[in-house]
Amino acid sequence: MGDHGGPAHGLAARVRRVEALLERRGLVGAAELDRALEAYLARATPANGARLVARAWLDEGFRSRLLADAGAALPELGLSTGGGIAEQRLKVVANTEDTHNVIVCTLCSCYPVALLGPSPTWYKSESYRSRVVRDPRGVLREFGFALDQDVEITVWDATAESRYMVLPRRPAGTGDLGEAGLAALVTRNGLIGVAPV
Amino acid sequence: MAERFRPGDRVLTSPADPAHHTRLPRYARGAAGTVVEVEGRYPLPDDRSRGLPAEAEPVYAVRFPAAGLFGAGDHQVVLALWESYLRLEGRSGRG
Amino acid sequence: MSRINDVGGMDGFPPVEQEAGEPPFHADWEAHVFAINRALIGQGVYNLDEFRDAIERMPPQEYLAASYYERWFHAITTLLVDKGVLTAQEVSGG
Repeated sequence: MGDHGGPAHGLAARVRRVEALLERRGLVGAAELDRALEAYLARATPANGARLVARAWLDEGFRSRLLADAGAALPELGLSTGGGIAEQRLKVVANTEDTHNVIVCTLCSCYPVALLGPSPTWYKSESYRSRVVRDPRGVLREFGFALDQDVEITVWDATAESRYMVLPRRPAGTGDLGEAGLAALVTRNGLIGVAPV
Repeated sequence: MAERFRPGDRVLTSPADPAHHTRLPRYARGAAGTVVEVEGRYPLPDDRSRGLPAEAEPVYAVRFPAAGLFGAGDHQVVLALWESYLRLEGRSGRG
Repeated sequence: MSRINDVGGMDGFPPVEQEAGEPPFHADWEAHVFAINRALIGQGVYNLDEFRDAIERMPPQEYLAASYYERWFHAITTLLVDKGVLTAQEVSGG
């Protein structure tokens, strides 16, 4: 998939060549490369963020702890923000009746990968990064999400070491669902804030 | 070194347009905001990116009304900003 | 001076486009670029701030035309040459 011919085609060869040179210099090894990918792909998934949300919806005490100090609350579910280059500080921000949160990294692409999995291309795009800080309501409309005019939006720009995740509001009519059923309602877009859940 | 700012403080961001790497976006230069909380202490990226020694310094979540940043908008923007990017504009309550 | 990556509030970009069921990497070489970067930072060849700086120093037209992992590879090769790990010829495939 992806580009056939053109710059990307020559690029694949250049990447292979640089990797081979680095291996010869002892700076990268095959096992190490595999480990980096495994942490990124296998252990990082939006199912992690969804579990946090479902638990917070069911357990008021957990919700308070998660909002007060997410890093301390994560281990309760066997989760962490590790697995990346450095352990990140997680900040969970809750949507309420009056406030809606949405996250971005205008300068590059910072994102809580451990809890949301690899970021989508649109999150990293100039289109999203340029527009969501200036017109978040318009961007939400681009995602088909018409937020009530009375609800105030806060945009969180991940300019430092903190990574932000949204705690969406629990949808109505979900009183019968258990933790797994609730977690299944939560989408990556909801955790970013461009969807209601 | 103790934090210079506390939650609730009104701060102004630097107006500078540095030649080096920085994590204060252009849209938030010379802007007035309110400190939400201390996020932690981290070395300044402006220095780390240039191979300069960088001690950890406080980073603050600072909330800005969009109208102050862009001239329009009814939303808020929170940025995580190193202490070096900020100066105190005002503090309310007991000092 | 203001760099091309600093796009918050900038006008004129096209509508946001979502790709349904998008994989983390669209080609094998992207995964390798990702992993190489992790390894080099882990080895202390350069740090994350230097890496971001190298991306930001791309000429604006190149930055905007490049895909996400093309930018990463540009930064990696820039730093490998800057740090004297590889030569310009070695990273260019010449």
